[in-house]
Amino acid sequence: MALRRALAVLAVASMLVLAGCAGRGQESGGESSSGPVTLKFWNGFTGPDRPAVEEIVKRFNDSQDQVTIQMEIMPWDVFFTKLLPSLTSGTGPDIAAMDTAQIPQYAAKKALKPLDDYYTKEGTEADKLIPAAVEGAAFEGVKYSVPMNFTTLLLYWNKGMFKEAGLDPEKPPANWQEFADYAKKLTKDTNGDGKPEQYGLAIADHATIPMWPILFWQGGGAVVSEDGKTAMLGDPATIEAASYWVDLVRNDKIAPIGLGGADADKLFQSKKAAMEIVGPWMTTGFKDAGIDFGLAMPPAGPKAEVTLGTSVGFTVNARADQAKTDGAYEFFKFWNSKESQVYWSVNSGFPPNRTDIQASELAENPYVAAFGEPADKSRFYLINVQEFQKVNDTLFVPALQRVLNGKASVQDAFPKADADIQAVLDGS
Amino acid sequence: MSTATQVPAPPTAPPPPRRPGRARGRLARRQALAAWGFMLPSLVVLAIFVVYPMTQALYLSFTEYNVIQAARWVGLANYEKLLSDPAFRNALVNTLYYAAVTTPVSVGLALGLALLLNRRLPLRGFLRTSVFLPVVLSLAIVAIAWSFLLDPNIGLLSYWLSKVGIVSEQGWLRDPNLAMPAVMLVGIWKNVGFYMVMYLAGLQSIPRELHEAASIDGAGAWRRFRRITWPLLANQTMLITILAAIATLQAFDQIFVMTRGGPFFQTETVVMMIYRVGFQEFAFGYASAISWVLVLLIFGLSMGQLAYFRKRTVTY
Repeated sequence: MALRRALAVLAVASMLVLAGCAGRGQESGGESSSGPVTLKFWNGFTGPDRPAVEEIVKRFNDSQDQVTIQMEIMPWDVFFTKLLPSLTSGTGPDIAAMDTAQIPQYAAKKALKPLDDYYTKEGTEADKLIPAAVEGAAFEGVKYSVPMNFTTLLLYWNKGMFKEAGLDPEKPPANWQEFADYAKKLTKDTNGDGKPEQYGLAIADHATIPMWPILFWQGGGAVVSEDGKTAMLGDPATIEAASYWVDLVRNDKIAPIGLGGADADKLFQSKKAAMEIVGPWMTTGFKDAGIDFGLAMPPAGPKAEVTLGTSVGFTVNARADQAKTDGAYEFFKFWNSKESQVYWSVNSGFPPNRTDIQASELAENPYVAAFGEPADKSRFYLINVQEFQKVNDTLFVPALQRVLNGKASVQDAFPKADADIQAVLDGS
Repeated sequence: MSTATQVPAPPTAPPPPRRPGRARGRLARRQALAAWGFMLPSLVVLAIFVVYPMTQALYLSFTEYNVIQAARWVGLANYEKLLSDPAFRNALVNTLYYAAVTTPVSVGLALGLALLLNRRLPLRGFLRTSVFLPVVLSLAIVAIAWSFLLDPNIGLLSYWLSKVGIVSEQGWLRDPNLAMPAVMLVGIWKNVGFYMVMYLAGLQSIPRELHEAASIDGAGAWRRFRRITWPLLANQTMLITILAAIATLQAFDQIFVMTRGGPFFQTETVVMMIYRVGFQEFAFGYASAISWVLVLLIFGLSMGQLAYFRKRTVTY
């Protein structure tokens, strides 16, 4: 029994691999005629925006009888564990929605169909899509996705806590100097045990939408250059920006160390942190928690006024035949139609993907316009980088955590990680 | 104790017949046939779910395979990479550290609890059940509960500990020095009940006369334990230690849920690394190579433990 237990883990892992190998060579699309098609659509919208996704899919299915979308919603980690094996075995989805940062590694493995023709096809109104969102769809000059959503991150600040700290509740910090000052003023250790009961800032270092990289960009640095070819963690500008904020976190304790994205949200939501840079998905949660918050462009850094742009795109299975691809295009067109986008924005809090929707049409949801506005001041994280996981999770995040925990200095850890990231980018 | 280490000996070799006869040979054949028939279901299951995947994984470990493109033969490259990979060294050290702490603590604690709960105590059944309960729970699920208990802001356990002056500024799971002890604690809590039950069974199989005789001869409690209980539990100790060592070398569930191997790989065990390399970085060839090294490691360790304890088994 001992050995059997010993091998159980391996066996399970191998079976999953096998599941991927079995049935290779089967085509996912059978008929190529232009009859009615059914498309399997996977995504990870398990959050508060789920009902909005379901409603638009239902509206699409009801609107015509040629294409049926069969949607399966699962948590993102399940989604990414299942996606690659299922694509190989031919049991995968015809349409998969994923963060554009994840697309290159699937595109490079030729698992996704190039969708350049969607953008030139007549009637798709692709020219009405937000340019920043379309930019995120490309990898090495080829577009592999059509925007499903796009947003920027904004600074949330708790007006009540600002007032308590003697700050003007209607005036968010405008630059780094103010940002740091406010954060210090908002950090309070009331019982004097050395651990603040209230923090100025909630900033997550792992399992999160990128927050630290925004600070690097504002200081003129980055994790990787925008063309995805050069590691920049060792760049003097990155080191300077990182040192500035790491010092504030470690010595002034403006933010707790080691937060994940959900922890940071929870901290702001429970009024234990006064500021956070995050996306529109938190507006509902914060509002329900009774927080009177304001939204603003993150404070400008010494080198740039910039925030993160992030987008989930629809991708099409490389094996989809013409009929399925056409069906998918019909769906993308419907999703990005004016009517659907107004519905989507009002109900999800995400800004619309189109440039031709007026703020007055979105009046029902007061936050939407704010998130759409800085689109041209936004930047995608690790765009054009094929190995997102390796660069972010395996190299950048641990280096940042080492520094934040005082196990290494920025000057030591960042150039080291820079060299490792460069090796990954160079494909060695 | 193990079905797989003792490969079922083909029962086709009867003792040398004392008097040659056809009838006897036929009987032996029929018995052999029956034996294979009874073993067949298990053998089929083992072959399909253990032997075949393992062989596949062995093959993959000599290839570069990203699931989409066909596997490419690379010979021993994955194993060579492993030797110089600091991530693997880190995972191996973490795993051995985890095993070296949790195995003896689990076994010792199980023995202590078994001795205690073998006495006539009020609420004995309740206490036994409480200790055993974690065994039947899903580790992945109770690990979520533990994460909440240890949360620095809303955690009950963190709160109690802070009342006695133990304040973890960052929270246990986010502190690089405390994350490993935290997942060890959960690992021990999960398994100790199972080992305790095995020890209880062992304790109850020790004849009462031995203790009575020793008492009459004037042996004290410690001497009786040292000279009677402990030697006669040697079989249990062997089995439990081997099982515990194997379980700890495969530590995964609670780590996956509670820390994901972080902060900065401080709690990344070998199995966590296999998962990361295979399912997040899609390097299945390399992940298979790590898996095989782990298999050999566990196999070697189990054999070593078996040999060590075999020599020490005692009967009176």
